[in-house]
Amino acid sequence: MILNEQSIAEIKKKMVRYPKRKSAILPALTVAYYQVGHLNADIYEEISEITEIPTVDIAEAASFYTMFPKEPVGKYLIQVCHNISCALLGADSLISYLEEKLGIKKGETTSDELFTLISVECLGSCTTAPMMQINDKYYENLTREKVDAILDELRSRA
Amino acid sequence: MEKKELFKYIDDPDQVKIGTAVSHGAYKAWEKALKQMKPAEVIEEVKKAGVRGRGGAGFPAGVKWGFIPKDSPKPKYLICNADESEPGTCKDRELMERDPHATVEGMAIASYAIGCHLAFIYVRGEFVKSYRTMEKAIDEAREKGYLGKNIFGTGYDLDIIVHTGGGAYICGEETALLNSLEGERGMSRIRPPFPAIEGLYGCPTIVNNVETLASVPQIIKNGVEWYRSMGTEKSTGSKIFSLSGHVNKPGNYELEMGTPLSYLINDLGGGVKDGHNLKAIIPGGSSTPFLLPDQIDTPLDYESLAEAGSMLGSGAVIVIDDRTCIVWVIERLTHFYRHESCGKCTPCREGTGWLEKTISRIEHGDGKPGDIEKIESVCDNILGRTICPLGDAAVMPIQSAIKLFRDEWEYHIAKKTCLVKTEFEFK
Amino acid sequence: MSDNNKVTLTIDGREVTVPKHYTVLQAAQSLGIDIPTFCWHPKLKPVGACRMCYVEIEKRPKLEVSCATPVMQDMVVYTDSEKVKQGRRAVLEFILIDHPLDCPTCDKGGECDLQDLTFAHGVDDSRYDHKKYRFIRDKKSTFDDWRIGPEIIRNQNRCILCFKCVRANKEAFGEHDLGAFQRGNVTEIMPPPGRQVANLYSGNLVQICPVGALTNTDWRYKIRVWKTEQIDSICQYCADGCNIRLWRGTGGLKKIFRATARRNDAIDEGWICDVGRYGYQTVHAEGRLTTPLIKKDDTQVPATWEEAIGLVARKFKEIKDKKGGVCIGGTITPAMDNRSLYAFSKFMRLVLNSNNVDFRTDYKMLPEEHGDLYSRLTEQKFKIADIEKSDLIVVIGSNLIKEHPIVNLRVRKTIENMGAKLYTLNPFTTKSADISTDEMIYNIGTLEALLNGVCTCLAENNTKNKLESLIDPKTAEKASAICGIETERIKAFAEALRKAKNISLLVGELVTSSSARELLASVINNLILLAGIHNKGQVGFLSKYSNSMGAQKLGVMPHLSEKKIKKLKSIWGAYPDSAGLAADRMILSATKEDLDSMFVIGSNLMLSYPDGQFVKDGLDKLDFLVVADMFETETTALADVVLPLSSWAEYDGAFVNLEETEQSFKAAIGPVGHSLPAFALVDKIARELKSPLYENPEDMDKDVSELMKLESDNNYAPQLREVRYIKPDSNEEYPYALYVIDELHHFGQMTEKSKSLSAFCSEAFLEMSPSMAEKLKAENGTLIRVESEVGKIVLPLKISEFVENDVLLVVRNFSASAVNVLQMRKRRTDRVKLTRVEEE
Repeated sequence: MILNEQSIAEIKKKMVRYPKRKSAILPALTVAYYQVGHLNADIYEEISEITEIPTVDIAEAASFYTMFPKEPVGKYLIQVCHNISCALLGADSLISYLEEKLGIKKGETTSDELFTLISVECLGSCTTAPMMQINDKYYENLTREKVDAILDELRSRA
Repeated sequence: MEKKELFKYIDDPDQVKIGTAVSHGAYKAWEKALKQMKPAEVIEEVKKAGVRGRGGAGFPAGVKWGFIPKDSPKPKYLICNADESEPGTCKDRELMERDPHATVEGMAIASYAIGCHLAFIYVRGEFVKSYRTMEKAIDEAREKGYLGKNIFGTGYDLDIIVHTGGGAYICGEETALLNSLEGERGMSRIRPPFPAIEGLYGCPTIVNNVETLASVPQIIKNGVEWYRSMGTEKSTGSKIFSLSGHVNKPGNYELEMGTPLSYLINDLGGGVKDGHNLKAIIPGGSSTPFLLPDQIDTPLDYESLAEAGSMLGSGAVIVIDDRTCIVWVIERLTHFYRHESCGKCTPCREGTGWLEKTISRIEHGDGKPGDIEKIESVCDNILGRTICPLGDAAVMPIQSAIKLFRDEWEYHIAKKTCLVKTEFEFK
Repeated sequence: MSDNNKVTLTIDGREVTVPKHYTVLQAAQSLGIDIPTFCWHPKLKPVGACRMCYVEIEKRPKLEVSCATPVMQDMVVYTDSEKVKQGRRAVLEFILIDHPLDCPTCDKGGECDLQDLTFAHGVDDSRYDHKKYRFIRDKKSTFDDWRIGPEIIRNQNRCILCFKCVRANKEAFGEHDLGAFQRGNVTEIMPPPGRQVANLYSGNLVQICPVGALTNTDWRYKIRVWKTEQIDSICQYCADGCNIRLWRGTGGLKKIFRATARRNDAIDEGWICDVGRYGYQTVHAEGRLTTPLIKKDDTQVPATWEEAIGLVARKFKEIKDKKGGVCIGGTITPAMDNRSLYAFSKFMRLVLNSNNVDFRTDYKMLPEEHGDLYSRLTEQKFKIADIEKSDLIVVIGSNLIKEHPIVNLRVRKTIENMGAKLYTLNPFTTKSADISTDEMIYNIGTLEALLNGVCTCLAENNTKNKLESLIDPKTAEKASAICGIETERIKAFAEALRKAKNISLLVGELVTSSSARELLASVINNLILLAGIHNKGQVGFLSKYSNSMGAQKLGVMPHLSEKKIKKLKSIWGAYPDSAGLAADRMILSATKEDLDSMFVIGSNLMLSYPDGQFVKDGLDKLDFLVVADMFETETTALADVVLPLSSWAEYDGAFVNLEETEQSFKAAIGPVGHSLPAFALVDKIARELKSPLYENPEDMDKDVSELMKLESDNNYAPQLREVRYIKPDSNEEYPYALYVIDELHHFGQMTEKSKSLSAFCSEAFLEMSPSMAEKLKAENGTLIRVESEVGKIVLPLKISEFVENDVLLVVRNFSASAVNVLQMRKRRTDRVKLTRVEEE
């Protein structure tokens, strides 16, 4: 079993609130994602067993959404917004900077499996551009200094 | 000046706590509506106040609520659309993170108006802080009896579920949101049937934007006259504008409808950043046509912007200075729409792909004669031909960019490079 | 104008009045206007995805999709204006930008919607100048085909994302093995991870795919569709009677190349199951008997028809003259056309003077008098389409998907689309559980107790008193204790029956073939009366084979009603005096050496009769056995004379389906080898005996028609009947109940010989619940020895997706595993014990 007891309990709790069982798919995927860090076919089967929703419905929904990585990622998933407001304020350059600092290209994971770098669409933080989301936190109004400090802090925490 | 009504208490960090919110007047309108007004009266008030959908469509909220069939035996649902994903827009996030109770109260009043006992707020999955704040606020409201069973002793039951998304712009579209909430893939539905008749689980459903719902308590508390005293005849009230891009002071600013765009950009926004010159303005989120510098005095209301050839949309104002290549901007946006297309209907699914490839080719120096005409033709085959407005949204900026900056496109094709180009620095 | 439910609108200048709920597309179709579509399907909800069905509507600025636009009074529609034409060209251009130009190698060429509509409405050149996107699973392969199931191959490049396959699979079939993944223009259609598309209806997905994205192995690279012609036929594999098309090659290629659905809204609505689709392969399978065989010195050697018929006629005459026709018995498979069944009955009775005629060779027999035991319980005719009128559907004793796949679809449709409720009563969980309001799994052999409990809840006042004097158990509580279903559920079911406005009661094989079927007929009779189903609904006794109904009506049974005997006498002028024997009694008689000879047509008794040892004993003791069949079987191996039988695709005929609808089919090809249809070979023997049955086969049609029209002799006087439950002795040594069933893709008639069906499953297995498997410490594939009082067999284990209780299922369709050796004709329920094979 990949999902732990806490996740299963959370899924079950969320599941019963909806008038129709199938609505629990997204919440269940979110719970699983936050526990495991990514989603895969085995997780869909487990969710299917817990919620009694056919696996195909869960797998289809999971594949539709881009927030959930479908393969293992580093401990910290760095998602840099590259949409228009952030791009106007140097998002492309920020991505290059991160590539340089981490020694990887966009889409890759560092060899110590600490950081995965990807670029994503608008994260709804346009007035504080350029910005990035790392796991569940937003880091806004970025400068080189701030980025360095954030990476150092995350490295020390690991 | 800013008109801080929705943002009145936004700077108080304790406003998220129910005690502080209540001391600032939260849930008074809810009590008034539940105890003193009939649902039909609530709908009338909101109709008369004229508040229009703040998510982008601009449809009068009260009129929409009126579409709910009164004699249907099915349960009714209210959904607050907090899937804020239109590039440039970040106003709902601020409302949810710093004054969640306004939205909770708005949802409650709206639910009462349409006869809903189970409401949902669909928050995009990336807004972790927002949905945690909303969950906490709802828990607090339940504890204090503003939600739950027999509210205020009137016998009315209401609860709210916070449902988080998975990363899909399309799920901000009403019918795709309904599918996503039902656990299906977030693809749009054909209309008819309209959601107000057959929406969530086949039941009558109203979907409203966060800001729209957050405006409702004020309308009920302060009255129609008060609300209509702000704004213009047809665009009443105040609106939050997200100002971003090349300005000195980006941020969310609440203004009376009808305030000139120049006030927002120059007075509040501090003017174009670093002393550069204005090249273009996107007034209502990336799906809206551009405005040129000589249109900077356009009043910010639905009618004036439509007259100026654009739209108010979500009110996300993106300022673009003259160091920017328009084709580069369009490439960025087209990529976004292609990435977010749900893939159900042929024109949007195939057309956005085709457009992205062609525009990308032009931007990277491989444009061919005839490309612009081809792009225009493809755009014409998408506009108005799709199930949902994403197709239109993808196409309008392209058509606008070609109309207003054709010389840049032609330069790209002839000279294989940008007319103006800057790598925006990251310092 | 006056009719509130209709509107009048104008399409292309023509006025039409249609129901209010119609879409513009439906209104146009009613006028015969052909609006092109890709994603629209008459039996699926419209999605408006392809945008091909644009029309221009006055006062509306945009082009509208007609499949999703409701009609409105006084609407003015143009289906072929310049704007519409341009719109369609644009859609086709969009679809074609990433579509590979595979036409030369694509199976769909010649019947491809995209080809046809591009010719009709598209442009002949493309403006797209980018590289086409390739969906490729295996980067090393040249081809982008991916096998997603035993029969189905997917080429995602060709897919136009109309979603018909996914919608049909989920909406119409209720299956979960196909989905759409990712989004945008990289959306892929495939099964969920780790699964295959192997459901019983999967062939339909290939048929409805408008392009060559989904193709099947059966048709792959075989022949171009324009080199074939279509023959209207009827499926011969079950009593649903789906309408199919057989595709025969033209020119010198006189073979059947495939079977497809031929939409009949009264029965199949355009869907057929894979057995009907791939079953035709048995016609051309290797090993078809092409000449008669005669046993000489213990070996069967080929012979001519002359020799064979001569011998048969001589022997029959001998026996008849010496001991009388009572010493000859005849059985014929009910999957046989009307003329053959009638000819057989006429031959046995008129020519051999024997009433030993029967078609029921695969269920346990009783000394039962009449074959229409169940049809006498109701006056109304059962119609599949009428299931849609019901708000309550009750299924008793049937695993619908396996026994009547098309009725199953109709039941699903009624439940999903019309909100009807379903109650199923079975001794083990079936697939219908996912849509049942309550699935009542009763303890083995206690169905009458359960239904008595329900009846007692339904009865009121005087009726209740009368009922209680006739039945046992008399209360819902007692019934509950016996059958294992909680009292509240029994009461809830009774309440649902009472409240329902229209009930469809479907009674399946587990009841009608049970050795307790007389008792069960009584309890169901009570149920029908007390629930008032005879006034508000219909009852369907789901006969199994494609012409079980025909066999019943034509009297292919030993004991017939007065009415029928009278009719036959009037047609033939004579009728045997002696009493007749049912198939079971024939074999018993053979064991006692009272029956000397049997004439078996089309049934493989050795494999299908539910008591393998019993059959073998009987057939061994016969002096003279004649068997006619398509292939050599365990039964033909025992025969003195083997006659080659033609398949249904080789002659014209008719079947009567479970609704009593007679449907004719045409020959697709001539007889294979020297085989003959049953009526022809029977007539040959009759002629040899100087008693021809007919001049031409068509001559029999008049008699057949008269017998069909004969109303059943039911003394339909509905009264409550006695139903007493008697607890059977338990057997400690053989603790587990065993049910012998058909495998999903095989209906027991030679379907082993179909290559495609064997791709789905080709060997027998033992099915049990996960908890039982755990107790045995066994997994999928473990070999298990299954032993009963009379026989034993070793089978691999298959852990069931559905069964939850301690019931065992074995499949009977594979000659390598004759599971009927485990069965005993005297026992209502077969019981076995299990051991894992390594344990010795």
